[in-house]
Amino acid sequence: MNGHLLLQTWRWQRIRLVLVGLAGVAWGVLFPFFYVQFAEVFKQLAQSSPMIQQLMNFGSGSLLTLPGTITLGFQHPLTLALVGIFAVGGGALAIAGERQRGTLELLLSRPISRRMLYVTLTVALLAVVALMVGLILAGMVASAAWQGVLDQLDLAQLPLVFASGFLLWGAFTTFSLAASVSFDRTGPALGVSLAYLLVNYFLEILGSLWTDAAWTQEYSLFHHFQPVEILSGRANLVDVLILAVATLVPIAYALVVFPRRELAAPS
Amino acid sequence: MESRQATAITTRNLTKRYGKVAALTDLTLEVQRGEIFGFLGPNGAGKTTAIRTLLGFLHPTSGSATVLSHDVATESVEIRRRTAYLPGGIDLYDALSGIETLDYLADLSGRAPIGRDELCERMQLPASVLKRKVRDYSRGMRQKIGVVQALEGNPELAILDEPTEGLDPLMQHAFYAVLDDVRAAGRTIFFSSHILSEVERVCDRVAIVRAGRLMALQDVDQLLANRKRHINLRWRGTAPDLSEVPGLADVQINGDQISATLQGEVAPFVRAVSSPSLEDLTIEPARLEDAFLEYYAEDEPDEVRA
Repeated sequence: MNGHLLLQTWRWQRIRLVLVGLAGVAWGVLFPFFYVQFAEVFKQLAQSSPMIQQLMNFGSGSLLTLPGTITLGFQHPLTLALVGIFAVGGGALAIAGERQRGTLELLLSRPISRRMLYVTLTVALLAVVALMVGLILAGMVASAAWQGVLDQLDLAQLPLVFASGFLLWGAFTTFSLAASVSFDRTGPALGVSLAYLLVNYFLEILGSLWTDAAWTQEYSLFHHFQPVEILSGRANLVDVLILAVATLVPIAYALVVFPRRELAAPS
Repeated sequence: MESRQATAITTRNLTKRYGKVAALTDLTLEVQRGEIFGFLGPNGAGKTTAIRTLLGFLHPTSGSATVLSHDVATESVEIRRRTAYLPGGIDLYDALSGIETLDYLADLSGRAPIGRDELCERMQLPASVLKRKVRDYSRGMRQKIGVVQALEGNPELAILDEPTEGLDPLMQHAFYAVLDDVRAAGRTIFFSSHILSEVERVCDRVAIVRAGRLMALQDVDQLLANRKRHINLRWRGTAPDLSEVPGLADVQINGDQISATLQGEVAPFVRAVSSPSLEDLTIEPARLEDAFLEYYAEDEPDEVRA
């Protein structure tokens, strides 16, 4: 790993990271707040109609319990946008962006192997993604404490929630980086990465809203990050394993493919 | 072993193909340490492909190459540790200032930026310019940053891909003077260009490539000595007998004007025309351009055309 490259990569992201990180904390704070303020109303609404009850089980989350609300928070489209800026945007542009800009030559004309370049960028982005997941989770926990409902969470399970959340977004990050090493231009890299994220999301949401299509959730990475299960002491290590494999396979792919790529002069 | 140490770059039948397209075919050459080696050819001749293969950006289809005794296929990181590179049409990070760019690239190189101040002064990059963001730089200023980042730190070998692209004539001359000093310091420059006059001006030896093939590899002086010179003379009275002058050809007499071409030594010709009847004599200097055009006047090689 190259320290100068790592630091510069973080420097590029620092303003964005501060702004999006603050937004992430604020976003995390909102969920326990809404849960405390409106859970009873939601419960009454849910009892009034099976359809509304179904709609309240958006994704794998639920507005009726605090762990369910936290799950919902991690599956909300805005969370996708906040973390996706780094996981998908940052990942897809990391190397394809340098290639398209013509600056990859400058980096690779230094004594830096392609593997070292890839590993450094991967570590830099995974750290940023871990920070984002941590900030959102920290906002949720702080808000739960502020609202006096911390006892509804099994705090001992929080590290596993964080680890699973990190692996979920780590999988999208490493997939985007794998796309980034595969293309010379940012368009295809970004398109493939975004499609991967959205297909996973679609499968999870479709299965949650339409019981006949519930089987589709099994094929979504989002379905394997279940704070509600972890915080209820029903963590399934198979889910963690699936997320870990989904994170590691693109890394292995990139480590094999990137050094073998022909880097002709940018056209 | 002695020979390897004296050689900065060695290629043996280096070939690079993209599918059926041959970008480089059987390139065999040696660049000696301490020389400025010109790699000459028009756009698309394979110059950049050769350079990118030497630096490990491209993988050879066949053949082999070493740079500073390191194999390009297996030791490219070590090559890049000891070699500086100026890409053709360099692109920089718009968000960084000139000085931040130089610092960042020097940090990544692991080389202390020895001689940066002097280089910046010679390339007319004062501190006030270096403080500005690269996004505000003209093409020429970016190229100057490229030159400085490549030559600072005293690299053993600098590979410069069309280094004067975008530089104005004054800066080109400043750059040539820098190269003269680099040569005097015993460092090696591999210099690709399609500008014949600058190759003639700065290079010790030159390779001419055409459609991926090496067409010529010679000392610049030797290459020029073998070129045909154009001769014009004006004569009073009967034209002299020039049939015995070695190397003289294409003699045309038009009234009192005689024109011809001369290949080889000039002295026999001068002796033959030394006479009070000689009114005027012009011997145009041999130019690399003539040599270059001669190589390019022939048909394309079959293999490449296929």
